[in-house]
Amino acid sequence: MTVFKILLRIPWHLLFLAGILVLVGSLALYSASQGSWQPWAGRHAVRAIVGMALVVCIAFIDFSFIKRMSYVFLAAAILVLLAVMVVGTGQGVSRWITIGGMNFQPSEPAKLAVILALARYFSSQPHDRMRSFVWYLPAFAIIAVPFAMIVKQPDLGTALMLLFGGLVVVFSAGLPWRYVFGSLAAVLAAVPLLWLQLKAYQKARVMTFLNPETDVLGAGYQITQSKIALGSGGFFGKGFLMGSQSQLNYLPEKQTDFVFTMIGEEFGFAGNIFILLIYLLITIAILRISFRVNSRFAQLTCIGIGMMVFFYMFVNVAMVTGLLPVVGAPLPLISYGGTSMLTVFIGFGIVASAIVHDRRQS
Amino acid sequence: MSRAKTKDLRRTMSRRGLLLVGGSALLTSFLGARLFQLQVAQNNRYQRLSDRNQFDVRIVAPTRGRLFDRKMRLLAGNAESFELYITPLYVDDLQQTLAALGQIVELSERDIKAVLLAARKGPSFRDIIVRNDLSQRELARLAVRSPLLGGVSFGKSLRRIYPQGSLACHITGYVSPVTAREIENNQSLEKTPYLGTGKVGVEFAHEDYLRGLPGRERIEVNAKGQPIRVLRDVDAMSGKDLQLSIDIEVQLQAAEILRRGQLAPVELGTMQVQRALAKNSELQAHIALGDDLVLRDEKDRLVPPESGAVVVMDIYSGEVISLVSAPMFDPNLFTGTLLTRDWRRLNSHPRTPLLNRATSGQYAPGSTFKMVVGLAAIEAGVISKNTQFNCSGDMELGNATFHCWRKGGHGMMNIISALEQSCDVFFYEVALKTGIRKIKDMAHRLGLGDVTGIGLPGEKPGIIPSHEWKLANQGRVWTPGETVVSSIGQGYVLATPLQLAVMTARLANGKQAVTPRLVKSTGDAAPDFAPLDVDPYALAIIREGMFEVMNGGFGTARKYDLDKSLGGMAGKTGTVQVKRITKAQREEGIVNNIDRPWAERDHALFVAYAPVKRPRYAISVVVEHGGSGSSTAAPVARDILTKLMQKQG
Repeated sequence: MTVFKILLRIPWHLLFLAGILVLVGSLALYSASQGSWQPWAGRHAVRAIVGMALVVCIAFIDFSFIKRMSYVFLAAAILVLLAVMVVGTGQGVSRWITIGGMNFQPSEPAKLAVILALARYFSSQPHDRMRSFVWYLPAFAIIAVPFAMIVKQPDLGTALMLLFGGLVVVFSAGLPWRYVFGSLAAVLAAVPLLWLQLKAYQKARVMTFLNPETDVLGAGYQITQSKIALGSGGFFGKGFLMGSQSQLNYLPEKQTDFVFTMIGEEFGFAGNIFILLIYLLITIAILRISFRVNSRFAQLTCIGIGMMVFFYMFVNVAMVTGLLPVVGAPLPLISYGGTSMLTVFIGFGIVASAIVHDRRQS
Repeated sequence: MSRAKTKDLRRTMSRRGLLLVGGSALLTSFLGARLFQLQVAQNNRYQRLSDRNQFDVRIVAPTRGRLFDRKMRLLAGNAESFELYITPLYVDDLQQTLAALGQIVELSERDIKAVLLAARKGPSFRDIIVRNDLSQRELARLAVRSPLLGGVSFGKSLRRIYPQGSLACHITGYVSPVTAREIENNQSLEKTPYLGTGKVGVEFAHEDYLRGLPGRERIEVNAKGQPIRVLRDVDAMSGKDLQLSIDIEVQLQAAEILRRGQLAPVELGTMQVQRALAKNSELQAHIALGDDLVLRDEKDRLVPPESGAVVVMDIYSGEVISLVSAPMFDPNLFTGTLLTRDWRRLNSHPRTPLLNRATSGQYAPGSTFKMVVGLAAIEAGVISKNTQFNCSGDMELGNATFHCWRKGGHGMMNIISALEQSCDVFFYEVALKTGIRKIKDMAHRLGLGDVTGIGLPGEKPGIIPSHEWKLANQGRVWTPGETVVSSIGQGYVLATPLQLAVMTARLANGKQAVTPRLVKSTGDAAPDFAPLDVDPYALAIIREGMFEVMNGGFGTARKYDLDKSLGGMAGKTGTVQVKRITKAQREEGIVNNIDRPWAERDHALFVAYAPVKRPRYAISVVVEHGGSGSSTAAPVARDILTKLMQKQG
């Protein structure tokens, strides 16, 4: 395949949509630092450009190579998660690894590794075994091991996103409906067990979510302020750089987890809906690619990555609007933070590779 | 895979893929609906909250728990203090207003910088503390002039006070403003930086108990930042009061008796004294700290009060009745903004008033260690009550000569007369036969060589040396000569005054390994100490020796016994060389202690328990460079016990 052909087949519309989000993110970060490219907005844009270049690079990698390596990726991800347990940094949690002064959060790319490993597993199994539950047990192990390790860190938000991403792949692979409902029941039964596993601050967050008034200074403060900022934005917002809640420092973490709130205050309901739509478009675009590619591995991978991007958005927006507890989840491509952006761009790269090297397209 | 099945699977996957697309769209519209609810439907409400009614959350400081002595007399409390605030929102020009304030109250460059930084970081309607501890004069001036300055207000808060001044300084410790380092270790302190934390003493050790929990107020302010109303969210929870075992009256007497020693105080006002003071920098350091006790020694020189330590404890409950370390300092200096001047004075003081000598000062125990050697020897069967050794005034070991303190020797000595007269040679012989290992074991059983766990920060463990200790710390093997030197509590041996009191308490108690405590025990339950595990017969012999120290014809402290009507006491003197006596000095007769510079004089030690028949209290006294254990330290112990027993009477 010539370089020209590869370039032609890269799903540029995905990069275009991502570019819009990065632009919105840079503007929001510019506003978050009271109208300055320092310290966030400039770096955010530069990182995004590097990320997009990465997508093009990955598109050149033969997709069958990615398939061959998928178990290796999973093993590597688990090893790095183990390393985090030993040498990780963070306030009372071990979540990050510091390499050359940069903090790196291995639980993010672990999501991709799980999706690839599951897709590989299901694509290599003959169809007639699908009805037996035993056949699904290895798949659940692929999800459960990194999930448990991330819960231990503890980083519940990322762990749940990994769980959902993995389950979506299992679901798409054709898990019979009776197991779907059976698992749902099992999950509900596991909630009390999970509760016992939570750290005190995580329990406090859940309790605060159920009753935000109990902790007006802590996590409840964040949610209360986030709702005030969003709600006061109205339909068209207070205008760029004019969000009083954000500019007066009422809104915490406005450059990371609460960036959506800040956009809501300054650009209103219209701005927020615009962002939701872009994310939905990205999800649909990736799922559409999954319908077009030929191999089962490629299909499942694309579905997993498309839904992963969607879950990122959903968890973050549900969190800042008070529908979910504050679990600490970024809004990728908009929030300041390298690892989630990198994960999304690598995901896009894998999708690009899947369509570029697909047999049916030739 | 058959073609039909593959097709079937493809269809399943497509169906499920479509389901996911539909699901995503559904969830997205769900989020959209939520946003509509918040941003459009309830916009008015949030608009109001955001625009007109900003909430400010203010922390309400908890009242710190107080400290009391055993008779509920206040050792540490809280007093009202006034603070100056500025609200940047009302202020046209912050720099200018601060400059104007600088004319009215004392403001340092650092204060101003802190305010400017806080104003940049926080919302403009939040009050910032400009100054605390406003004096009455500053308050009066502010009352007149602050109405002309927009955005300036003042309010009340609580400041820690120590009504006993320096008297219990080493016990209570002090509270001072939170440091940046502490915030790094405990993020929750960041929310209440103006609340002090205990830095040393009980204030530090019981910080969590005393501190309490801060409360919270929500203040609704309008667009101009004027408070509309205050909602008290959570009431502050006061810290709990703590009753200590200290008796402040005994503490006062002990401190006075220790500090004055046998010398007479002088009147400070006279010309002659003032002239002498001007020439003496050490005395000036004392006076600068607010200490107005100046003494006159036997050579008619003006000297500062004695330094050292006294510990008095109950031999059954372990409660510490008095714990004095001299010189002392005024903990009230630390509670507000510590002046650089005061800090310099405290640190450059030649006798380190911040050091708690009772728990962190390590001294060679000298002859007070002889009880340990005697007990170890009797228990090991090396000597009995009647075993005798001849003291000729010195003992040869290899090519070294070890002298007894008494040049001509004591003649035939047994354990009781050796304790009575504090014969060194007897203990040299006994220690060589017993061995350092058994002596060390006994010392640990009596509470030496380990921290006592009284619960004051910075407590030192002292040193009880052994073969292993020397190998680990000096890299050389133990020699018999070192056993000899250790037997009279010199060489490597070190103990704190508190440990010596604990040792004496255990000797007097006889049954339990009493440990000291500063917090008054509640209820009648007897404290649960480990058994002492020392042969009672051996203990009885040692106690007889300590009795003879006060009562024997040659007893080293026979002149200083506690009055018989008060029950008398049993004790042991100790005089510790600080500077080696050279052979030349020995031959020409040892220079009199008083003729040597203060820092080269011997330390004077004394331990005792009283009353003799049914012991109740143990005491240890260390007078730094005080001369001799019998003439300097023993009378201090006697006088303190006299006051204590009279009060009991």
